[in-house]
Amino acid sequence: MLIFALFLGCDTVEMSQAWQIDRLRVLAVAADPAEPRPGDVVTYDALVVSPAKPLLGSAWFVCDAGSSTDFGCDIDPSLFDGMDAGTVDIAALAAAGMIGFLPGYTPTWTVPTDYLDGLPAEDQIEGTFAMTYITAIPEVAEGEEMQEDDLEIAYKRVPVSLSTTPNHNPRVASWSIDGLAIEDGAEVRLDPGQAYTIGVDLTEDSVESYTFHNEDGEDESRTEEPYFSWYLQEGDFNQSNTLWPYTEAVYFAPDEPTLTQQSLWVVVRDRRGGMAWSELKLRFAD
Amino acid sequence: MIPLLLALAPPALAGDSPPPPPADAPAEELPPLVKNPELLQFVQAPYPPDAQAEKLEGTVKLILEIDETGAVTKAEVSEAAGHGFDEAAVEAAKQFKFSPAEDATGPVPVAIEFAYGFVLDAATKEGAVPEAAAGDQPPAEQPVTLDGVVIEMGTRRPLADFAIRIEPVGLETTTDAEGKWAFRGLPPGPYTVRAVRPGYDTLEKSVEIAAGQATSARLWVRNQSYADPGIIGSYHKESADVTRRTITMEEVRRIPGTFGDPIRVVQSLPGAARAPLGTGLLIIRGSNPSDSRVYIDGMYIPYIYHLGGFESVVNPDLVSAVDYLPGGYGPQYGRSTGGTVDVTTRSKFPDRNQITWSTDALDSGGVWLGSFGDKHQHGIGAAARISYIDAILPAFLADDGFSVVPRWWDFQTKYQYQGDNPNKFSILAFGFQDTLLLHTPEGYAQGTDQNTQGDVGTEYNTYRLGVTWDRNFGTHWSAHVAPSFGSDYAALDVGNSFHLIQAKYTLELRAEAKYKHDDHFSAAAGLDFIAGWSDFEIQLPFNPAQLAEIDALAERDPYSLSGTATGFGPDPYVNVTWKPFTDVDKLSLNGGLRMMYVIIPGENEVLAFDPRFSVRWQVVKGTVLKGSTGLYHQPPQPFQQYRPDDEPVELGAEQAWASSVGIEQDIGPEVQVEVEGFYKDLTGLIVGNRNFGTIDDSYFLNAGVGRAYGVEVIARKAPVGNLFGWISYTLSRSERQDYPDEDWYLFDYDQTHILSAVAGYKLPYDLTFGLKVQYTTGNPTTPYSLGVYDVDQDSYMAFQTGDANSERLPPYWAVSARIDKLFTFKAWQLLLYVDVINALHGDNPEFEQYNYDYTEKTYFKGLPIIPSPGFEAKVEF
Repeated sequence: MLIFALFLGCDTVEMSQAWQIDRLRVLAVAADPAEPRPGDVVTYDALVVSPAKPLLGSAWFVCDAGSSTDFGCDIDPSLFDGMDAGTVDIAALAAAGMIGFLPGYTPTWTVPTDYLDGLPAEDQIEGTFAMTYITAIPEVAEGEEMQEDDLEIAYKRVPVSLSTTPNHNPRVASWSIDGLAIEDGAEVRLDPGQAYTIGVDLTEDSVESYTFHNEDGEDESRTEEPYFSWYLQEGDFNQSNTLWPYTEAVYFAPDEPTLTQQSLWVVVRDRRGGMAWSELKLRFAD
Repeated sequence: MIPLLLALAPPALAGDSPPPPPADAPAEELPPLVKNPELLQFVQAPYPPDAQAEKLEGTVKLILEIDETGAVTKAEVSEAAGHGFDEAAVEAAKQFKFSPAEDATGPVPVAIEFAYGFVLDAATKEGAVPEAAAGDQPPAEQPVTLDGVVIEMGTRRPLADFAIRIEPVGLETTTDAEGKWAFRGLPPGPYTVRAVRPGYDTLEKSVEIAAGQATSARLWVRNQSYADPGIIGSYHKESADVTRRTITMEEVRRIPGTFGDPIRVVQSLPGAARAPLGTGLLIIRGSNPSDSRVYIDGMYIPYIYHLGGFESVVNPDLVSAVDYLPGGYGPQYGRSTGGTVDVTTRSKFPDRNQITWSTDALDSGGVWLGSFGDKHQHGIGAAARISYIDAILPAFLADDGFSVVPRWWDFQTKYQYQGDNPNKFSILAFGFQDTLLLHTPEGYAQGTDQNTQGDVGTEYNTYRLGVTWDRNFGTHWSAHVAPSFGSDYAALDVGNSFHLIQAKYTLELRAEAKYKHDDHFSAAAGLDFIAGWSDFEIQLPFNPAQLAEIDALAERDPYSLSGTATGFGPDPYVNVTWKPFTDVDKLSLNGGLRMMYVIIPGENEVLAFDPRFSVRWQVVKGTVLKGSTGLYHQPPQPFQQYRPDDEPVELGAEQAWASSVGIEQDIGPEVQVEVEGFYKDLTGLIVGNRNFGTIDDSYFLNAGVGRAYGVEVIARKAPVGNLFGWISYTLSRSERQDYPDEDWYLFDYDQTHILSAVAGYKLPYDLTFGLKVQYTTGNPTTPYSLGVYDVDQDSYMAFQTGDANSERLPPYWAVSARIDKLFTFKAWQLLLYVDVINALHGDNPEFEQYNYDYTEKTYFKGLPIIPSPGFEAKVEF
């Protein structure tokens, strides 16, 4: 009966879904290189979408790997005093872990050369990670005050190791709709209320093989098993995640789109910290 | 003139209500009957000559005391009719013969009310029949010209002691033990046959006797109440347990929303909190569901409900009583700090075969009850059910490649020796299996983890075989021995990488020797032994020890573990009851001691002593004060006592010091009010080690404490007459503190107010209507908000924005209704019913649900309005 109920009647009020982009969101963060060695310079990029409000920018911080159950960098809030007046002490913030502010201050982090020194030599092959925090900040209209939940905060682990087969970010090569390849950057015209099979192809080197040092001290050759997260503005998916080697999802276009121009996004994660994304622009008939 | 006697049976004899108490005894003396007395031999009283001459009629109400053999030991007039009716009725009633009433221990004396009616036949009233013909049978040498048999509709049972009268000649006879009757030498012509017996509709049938031929007439008579006469009960049982609430099947069958399942009814009694989603979890007096234990004939079982919690694993037709003990119980029960539910299976089987088939929206099943042997000394019953919800669900689900396959079945067989041999024994075998498979289509992502892709399935099954032997040795000593053996299997598969399998084998022995010196003093010593060993196998995609250092990107090795675990617990106990006053019901003092000793070789040992005391004091007739206090210990759960590194666990027992005081007040013979306050102090509660960091650390610690307290009130109307029901209310609070330096918080299922009102009413035309209203405070919840996005895991981590369990769900309230209609045909009976759960479609939040980033919140609602039609067909032969 419970199962009956679960399927027939235990309804819940519809809430916003993770795959539905209707507010400021950080969808992906990529580090390059994806798995740096000590001394490497890491640059970051992020997929930040904000359909409702213009984006003011994003603040970036990096902290040493501690327990991942600890959250955030230990930063004195007074360091942000003067932010509005433009008198903030950038150097002090950088010392506290700030690595960038977009636009204008490209997030870059140089991995300290002694970053793995605390680990035994064999563990340095697997390495550890650094926590990167990004805070996306929307613009606030005059007369309004920014609320705490207006911000979008995300964090990412950046593996740091001496791996012989370090990870690389995957790359999205192309989109397809109902099997037809879409030119890079092209805007696709769709009919409302129709179902389309959308897919992406990855570059040949995206799915990597790598060496894993197991608990028995043996090396294993493993192959990545990436997965795809799909996002939209209006409409629906038959599933919002697909797992390699399934690279397609069915997109149900909205019956009555409120926006003529919309976007679909896909984010690919290789489960080792590597990440890539792509956007498909859509246009519906007026 | 021939007077026609009509005795009017009270409802109790028809089996739809328990007998009222003896006139000179308090209500609490009634034992919890599992079988009502049944009139086997009816004796017609001579019609008082003066009343007959004056053409007077009357009804005499009698109180009959019936002993263990079924003989009437005393007949007193409770409502006189005068004119000689009273004396005649008393003399006749003293010659009645009943089948004895029985409680769980066997035949017991009872008192019932009986209405003996004297009614003149129409001919006598009109004076149309010559007196010379009255009461005279034609000479035996004349041929039989009219004969027949009286048979009960629905059961096809021949009925003895029916008065058969032939009109217009006014001849009368009585059916024999086989229901047969005959008249000789009746001349040809039309006649009317009239059959009369208390408790049955009077039947009139026209017959035609042809010249030179014998005529036969089969008379089908309808029982005025077809309620199961074999299962009734009362509210109190003289016991060391201060609070023992016995559920009677007659009540259960009329309660909506329970599917006639007596075990589910427990949740409508005081002290039992509402289980989420109707899952049937036993949340008793602020205790965790795992703190309460359920027994079937003394055998512990791990699961009492099938999938979804709507039906228990025992067919209700094989259940004779369910004892619900929320606290204050004696030392015969142990290894739990919560409540106890003891299900007793049927110990008396009918002389004739009964087959019942039931079908509802969930499952179908049948039960066969009967007996064999010269004296029907060998009772036997068998039941089985199987669900078909997996066949129905596809009709309601879209054909999108997903499928849900819930399936269950159960069976029970019981043999019961019910003869005269002093050695009484029984054999009970039962088992059940539940399977749930969630199949997802190829390529559909179940989340983002490769390890969880594919189907999800679980299965559990349980089998038990138990034997009981009971014997009285003289007048003072008695013994009870009940060994049992069984297995429990549980498996869980999630995708390709999660596999959990456990096969457990359990050997139990319950033995008790009882000495009863006299009505004032008795003592018992017993053993509650359990031993078990289990084989388990675990396959995980990672080593759980790695969870100590969470790294979402860490490469993890598949992890597997298998082994065998053993354990046993020989728990002895003693119990003494002393009733110091001449009036043995004035004061009853009980004291007991139980030793709990659980040994997990090489891993853990737990030793605890549980002294328990209780008292019942009858202040005045109908008013009882009661109280109890005692210790209750519970060993750690098996998974808490295991370490893969074989290091000692050193985990102790959880302890509850439970006390209660209360009053029972009779308000008339049919209504009783009970108020009881309780306090439970919990120590040594097992909590997760908050400092767990390495594999060498203990996973669990006895660091928690708790407390639960409250007041329970119940007012019950006995199922006498057309109405029965109860109103129960519990005001309670249950709290926990995991570590001494942490704050107290509300227990997860703490419900301040728990109100249940249950009523059943028998309408004309064999219609019965039932109603249940429930109101409870919403369960505590912990608020979260402001999710932070974990980019690697593609999920949001929430921040707790308030104390644990500092908020509550909205209150729950629901109305359930049931209506059934009984059709009685010549050879069988058919019960049609509709059970409507949440009839008013109450908006009942069960859990809080957050959206993906914890910025929105809503409720997972409870069951919607669910009409569940069904039928039950019953045949007796």
